[in-house]
Amino acid sequence: MKYFLVFSIVCTLMFAGCAPKVVQPTYKATPEGAAASKDDSAKDRKGGVTAEELARAERDRLQMLDEKMRSSLSQQDVYFEFDSYAIQGSQLPKIQAVGNWLKQSKATTIVVEGHCDERGTVEYNFALGQKRAESVKEHLVKMGVQGSRIKTVSYGKEMPADPGRTEDAWAKNRRAHFKIDQKG
Amino acid sequence: MKKGKWTTFILCTLFATGIFTADVAGARVYLDIYGKSFKKITVAVPYFKSDKADRLQTDMSDLLNKDLDLSGFFIVAPQSLLDKEFLNEGVEKQEINFGSWRSVGIELLCKGRFQLKDNEVVLEAFLYDTLDGSLMLAKRYRSRQEDWRRLVHRFADDILLTVTGDKGIMSSRVIFVGGRRNLKEIYMADIDGFNLRKITSYNSITVAPSISPTGRYIAYTSYKEGRPNLYVKDTDGSREINVDRSDGMKICSSWLNNSTLVYSHTSGRNSTIYTYNIETGEKRTIMQREGIVTSASFSPNGSKLLFVSDMFGSPQIFIRDSASGEIKRLTYYGSYNSAPSFSPKGDLITFVSKIEGAFEISVMNADGSNQRVLTNGGSLNDSPQFSPCGRYILFSSQAGGRYGLYTMLYNGENKRALKFTDGNEEQAKFAP
Repeated sequence: MKYFLVFSIVCTLMFAGCAPKVVQPTYKATPEGAAASKDDSAKDRKGGVTAEELARAERDRLQMLDEKMRSSLSQQDVYFEFDSYAIQGSQLPKIQAVGNWLKQSKATTIVVEGHCDERGTVEYNFALGQKRAESVKEHLVKMGVQGSRIKTVSYGKEMPADPGRTEDAWAKNRRAHFKIDQKG
Repeated sequence: MKKGKWTTFILCTLFATGIFTADVAGARVYLDIYGKSFKKITVAVPYFKSDKADRLQTDMSDLLNKDLDLSGFFIVAPQSLLDKEFLNEGVEKQEINFGSWRSVGIELLCKGRFQLKDNEVVLEAFLYDTLDGSLMLAKRYRSRQEDWRRLVHRFADDILLTVTGDKGIMSSRVIFVGGRRNLKEIYMADIDGFNLRKITSYNSITVAPSISPTGRYIAYTSYKEGRPNLYVKDTDGSREINVDRSDGMKICSSWLNNSTLVYSHTSGRNSTIYTYNIETGEKRTIMQREGIVTSASFSPNGSKLLFVSDMFGSPQIFIRDSASGEIKRLTYYGSYNSAPSFSPKGDLITFVSKIEGAFEISVMNADGSNQRVLTNGGSLNDSPQFSPCGRYILFSSQAGGRYGLYTMLYNGENKRALKFTDGNEEQAKFAP
């Protein structure tokens, strides 16, 4: 149930507005899943589900969640206020989604990149980017993810997501960005 | 009393440089360059003479004009002011009609005569005070023909030395970061934009160059191994030294002496300031605090450490007494004061201050008093550094759309753009 909730949150973030519909199709996305759900509906009519079938459905669901998280990880950017590395309440669900996924996908290590907008001084922004990445890491560790699985890198203002010089562009650039650590 | 001493000093300098004349009423105030304001001197540089017509006749005089303009102490007479009569005049004192130069407002006159032979250029240079026709400077310069620019810069620096008592920055070199998003390298070049060379070629992001006092070592932070590590390039044999490759952000901001750099390391909850001796490998912790501590540098006598910290919630500048460990906050105005750097004498600090949404270059006394804003472009300015003589500030600015480098006098006057490459240029420092 708990995972269901998390999954819904993730889906809500990704496909705002159509989350409930998404849950069903994802079961059907793999042949196994499709078979399972067909069986389920057949059993439902008879009023019984075996434990084995439940376990398989759960496994499939987790695998789907893992794949979804991996493919959408780059869209989970955590945004910050100017000159701040405090995590805003509105950004917490993204960190929680990543944290829950990491607790399931135990072999995965990630990199949290800290970025800044172009304003302010270069040197200070390098430190600020590091603190942004560390803030996100701290949250994940509090959730129970091992710290050794989370690397942090600051890019200061070197890698803006949006090269513009507007308040909108700056807001997009003040971020912590998740990546799967390819080096493991 | 203090003022009296200063005056005496000026008078001595006047004597020493041979421009003191009996006409005290007409004595120039231009030596008082550390006062609130000074009068710019009008200078003329007619085309240099040579046996045969050569492009260098105008190239050298044009470059000298540019140098004198960059120095901030001169109003350079436009060539259009100098009519034929002036141009045909010789370079020796007895050939010059100082009265006619005075009549068009020229106070100082630079004359040059050169010879080209065996791929060498020999320049005889003269500087005259038109008030009495006295010769202030006569010097012979020699260089390889392709190095004629450096020769002119040396002349310009000597003119500055003669007139103001201190050399200029025209012969200086700078190191800086050049490039674009995702591709930044460290460069070194003459301040006039020539003799550009790459210090790093990592095809990565390499930033924050800091050069040791002798110029032998250059520290920088590079992402060439995927994360920001701190390296030093030894230009004697171009060997590279790993200084810190641990987790977190490492940035070298200054050198304590010829072999010891100062850097900040932000990782986990803390930031730490270290010194690291390149030759012995000895690493020392200077201070550690929670949050951000960065941009650390020692005062020229080593007794104080200047740094930026967010201990009160936003970046502010602090100074720490090395003996007692006592920390004093220097900046109170505004929510963002950062990137501090001492003047060579340690009496002034230049820094960046956020003012009405813009980031402006400012200066204050070493105790935090008398803060003044030097730029007002309403743009993003960064990385201010004093010149070795203390009279100029080198900084980067986004004023022209791209990041570019600029110089100005320590009082904010005479801003001049420098250009080295076609890309962005930032984080510059004077190189010895």
